[in-house]
Amino acid sequence: MDNTNIWLIIIGVSIISLSPRILPVALLSRFEFPAIIEEWLSFVAPAVLAGLTAVSVLAPEGVIDISINNIYIWAFLPTVIAAVKTKNLFVTLLAGIAAMACLYNFVGI
Amino acid sequence: MMQKELKQGIKDALPIVLGYLPLGMAFGVLAKEAGLSVIQATMMSVLCFTGAGQYITIGLIQAGGAIITIFVANVLVNIRYLLFSTSTVPYLKGHVPPLIASLLSYGLTDETYAVAMNHYQDHPATSAYMAGLNLTSHLGWIGGSLLGAVLGSFITNTDQFGLGFALPAMYTCLLIFMIKRRADIWVAVSAAVICLVIGYLAPSTMSNLSNIIFATLIAATLGVIINGQH
Repeated sequence: MDNTNIWLIIIGVSIISLSPRILPVALLSRFEFPAIIEEWLSFVAPAVLAGLTAVSVLAPEGVIDISINNIYIWAFLPTVIAAVKTKNLFVTLLAGIAAMACLYNFVGI
Repeated sequence: MMQKELKQGIKDALPIVLGYLPLGMAFGVLAKEAGLSVIQATMMSVLCFTGAGQYITIGLIQAGGAIITIFVANVLVNIRYLLFSTSTVPYLKGHVPPLIASLLSYGLTDETYAVAMNHYQDHPATSAYMAGLNLTSHLGWIGGSLLGAVLGSFITNTDQFGLGFALPAMYTCLLIFMIKRRADIWVAVSAAVICLVIGYLAPSTMSNLSNIIFATLIAATLGVIINGQH
């Protein structure tokens, strides 16, 4: 692929990927949402996070893998415990990363 | 005050940077292999800031895909941000001037969204916090891409340091922090289950995360219904 086309792709992808993030805030900020819509929107973040967690832990390679061979599931367990016990994102992150490093290097599944 | 908010935003971005560095490096390596120059690979991360979208773009460039295919694939991957962005509006309104809120929303990603929404649960949004969080995360992504493109395949496997689990660990932790109302539990559990069922029945939804959109639409509606019963 030649250089012009690559730059064209980069600029096109930039517009496509940035507009869905910018436009809702730009267009909707002036409106007052009805209470029920605001309540509905308040559930978007927990739903999105649950979806992201489920996909990233249970399908780390893009394909659903619910088995004892999926080390992401094993690393998930100490991460949950650290999050509940410490209530601290940084400590939880370190616990998760350390657990994954151990599993990757020493368990070898 | 403003400086404190900016610092808090930068501090809250550090876990994100930890996850973005290896992912950005992987992107840089792949982009270089697909024939992009170091400048093009880095500029793509500057201008696009879409992890999945950039990986798909590189894959399609390498496979000789049509430009229109690349654009359609990116629409599919990024459409979920319409929903994310809309759900930030009630938190930004009255706290961040609309123009600044719109401009800084360019830096909305799965990760900055998760961190910001947690922060907004008990702190009002500010321009300085948003700038600190989004710009620092973006710098991590750009820096990783540049490193990857320059160092190429010299980079050692970052999986052995467990960094592959940085973002899953962050999602897990922020999900746990975010569950406050009884209805949140049901929303989270149903969203996770619906997401996996759709991903199982239609595996192609996993590659653009559209299963998360459908799961969110259903689970948030369920949340309103459960909440309304009290």
